Amino acid sequence: MIDSPGLCRELRCLVCKTTSHYHSETPIGGIFVASETVENCSSHDPLLDIDSSDSSSEVKSDEYLELQFRVFRLAILLTIFAVGIAGFFWGTQASASLLVGALSGIFYFRLLARGVGRLGTSSKIVGKVQLLVPVLLVLVSSRFPQLDLIPALLGFLLYKPALIIQFLLMP
Amino acid sequence: MDSITTAASVVAAGLAVGLGAIGPGIGQGSAAQGAVEGIARQPEAEGKIRGTLLLSFAFMESLTIYGLVVALVLLFANPFAG
Repeated sequence: MIDSPGLCRELRCLVCKTTSHYHSETPIGGIFVASETVENCSSHDPLLDIDSSDSSSEVKSDEYLELQFRVFRLAILLTIFAVGIAGFFWGTQASASLLVGALSGIFYFRLLARGVGRLGTSSKIVGKVQLLVPVLLVLVSSRFPQLDLIPALLGFLLYKPALIIQFLLMP
Repeated sequence: MDSITTAASVVAAGLAVGLGAIGPGIGQGSAAQGAVEGIARQPEAEGKIRGTLLLSFAFMESLTIYGLVVALVLLFANPFAG
């Protein structure tokens, strides 16, 4: 009884030998191709190795996380700057509304990034949960008299300049 | 707020969300399709593809948010309410 990994290995070696024989008959470059395919047959193929793809996927997710952190850092810096400007020119109520809006914008972007990160792995669609954040922001701003609607909405959109700057800085 | 203003606000809110979500919905679907195909064809570029997809989604979904904000302002903080 032949186990299935052994059978697969034998089949791969057979394909390699067949390919090497086929390529060795070609007039140009046949020897090089033949030696390469025989070597692939006998050695460990990294493309079919699951363990090596795990480490590369960690690198990819690290790159994605790094992009998120850069956008978050930029958005927080812009929030601090905008809250300071609003507090200096328009008072504490406008700056508090701007701060609440900016925090909800960052939270919205976090939810969107989580949905995009799950796309293709554990989910086939991007969730729409993040759209509840502006709804709640408008509802809270209209219900509480301590918050203004326009500064809260402007603060919510503060993640967008961070995205634009990040998009321009991308290599 | 009189009844005509209320009715017009409700209709306008529905149109703002409904019509504003058509374009971004189509765009997000095609962008996600292209990104997943790209990841499947070139898995080593997954991080860059996901990053670009995130930025594209953020820009596209802002159009939906604009319509949503207009609708919510018309419903809950209507400036035309006398």
